[in-house]
Amino acid sequence: MIWIDGVLVSPGEGGVYGERMLKDHRVWDPRRSKLAALFAKGGGRDLESWMSILYLGAANGTTVSHVADYVECVYAVEFAPRPMQDLIEVARRRKNVVPIMADATHPVEYAPLMEEVDMVIQDVAQPDQAGIVLANLPFLKQDGVYILMLKTRSVDVRADPDAVITATVRNLEASGLKVHAATRLEPFHRDHAALVCTRK
Amino acid sequence: MQHYWFGDVEGGACTPAQGDLGALSDRLDTLRITMESFIPLSWEDAVACGVCADRRDYLDRLRALCIRRAETEISAYYQQSDIELLQMVRMLDEMDTVINLLTERATEWYIVRNPGFSRKYRAIGAKKMLSIIKKDRASPLGSLAGEIERLASERTRLMREVSTRADAVAPNCSALVGGLVAARLISRAGGLAQLARLPASTIQVLGAENALFTHLRSGTPSPKHGIIFQHRRVHNAPRSTRGRVARVLAAKLGIAARIDYFRGEMSPEFLEKAQRRIDDVAGIV
Repeated sequence: MIWIDGVLVSPGEGGVYGERMLKDHRVWDPRRSKLAALFAKGGGRDLESWMSILYLGAANGTTVSHVADYVECVYAVEFAPRPMQDLIEVARRRKNVVPIMADATHPVEYAPLMEEVDMVIQDVAQPDQAGIVLANLPFLKQDGVYILMLKTRSVDVRADPDAVITATVRNLEASGLKVHAATRLEPFHRDHAALVCTRK
Repeated sequence: MQHYWFGDVEGGACTPAQGDLGALSDRLDTLRITMESFIPLSWEDAVACGVCADRRDYLDRLRALCIRRAETEISAYYQQSDIELLQMVRMLDEMDTVINLLTERATEWYIVRNPGFSRKYRAIGAKKMLSIIKKDRASPLGSLAGEIERLASERTRLMREVSTRADAVAPNCSALVGGLVAARLISRAGGLAQLARLPASTIQVLGAENALFTHLRSGTPSPKHGIIFQHRRVHNAPRSTRGRVARVLAAKLGIAARIDYFRGEMSPEFLEKAQRRIDDVAGIV
């Protein structure tokens, strides 16, 4: 990852969403992006130029645009029409972004488009986030990394975030995954955690 | 055999899919695969298949196909007749709020400039007030009031448009409660499809969510009506029967919404029966 004076940046054409530029690099704000927050907290796995990535819950393509600056290609899955419009615009300018309009809970919708990827990043506001992980596991290479951005409030608004994280980790471990780290994203994002997983 | 966007692969042999982007997209829609038997594709197969030259070419083609599919799906979504109506109703309600706020503020300002002025003993509505303020040419207030008036007339135009659209999108609901109220119900439900799937008891209190949750939490009296209160049958009914009228009206609206959504045309037989039932409980005098 590229840091300039302690600021996370990505190399690419700027002006995607009004992001600041620093020495010709795009500033990647941990307050706006959960993935950036994970890197800022010292976690995550470095994005490499040879990687292909499946990004579930791509939304407006803000984070996707930064990921695309680092890697070979990004399959960006988003379900809602409104953000999809922005995502398509990002894909027009970044030749390594493949925008897929589909529901991450139904991977069969986009399976015929998918190759195996080196990393899956999941950032969806759904109750059954662990279930979506398991459903999308067939797209991950044997030695690939799965990064789950866990929105604890989407799982259960009333439950204690730590309890939701513990339960999710246990659930994933029981399903054959190894959770290497569960990083809380405070102070950048409240009640969120990033789980870095691989196959056992 | 594995089905992929570029063709079918079986035992190393590949049958390429034929046709342009549209044909490829249509073919994708017909594929029936299961995750259990699914094997992720390898782009080299696509090259072997003869559909692309190299990795770069592979991604370009796939990207073009995906963009095309997403665009088609987005425009199909927006073309659903009620999607724009939602935006119009929300704009209308925001305009109401803004116009009221601006008129109040302009009145306060006018009073400061005219110490002798009072609204007491004079029935001065918001409209009249604006036309009085407008005459104050000596300050920016006068022309501002003119602008607020213009905004108000835009609002009226939008309201008519909403009503006309609602008549087309939901003819049965509109016939029962009028286009504006029907449009508000659709907006609150999030669309005609969603409204058609709501139970009548929910339709009855749409727009009274605060009162409903207060009721559920702390046992205050339950709300008897939400948006449908705006219908004359409900707000003209005496207090004692208002809940009853609201309940019957909501039940008929539930049916009307389903006819609107699934059949999409006016049903005179249904409307006549529904009207009669509503008139019955409202107790025509």
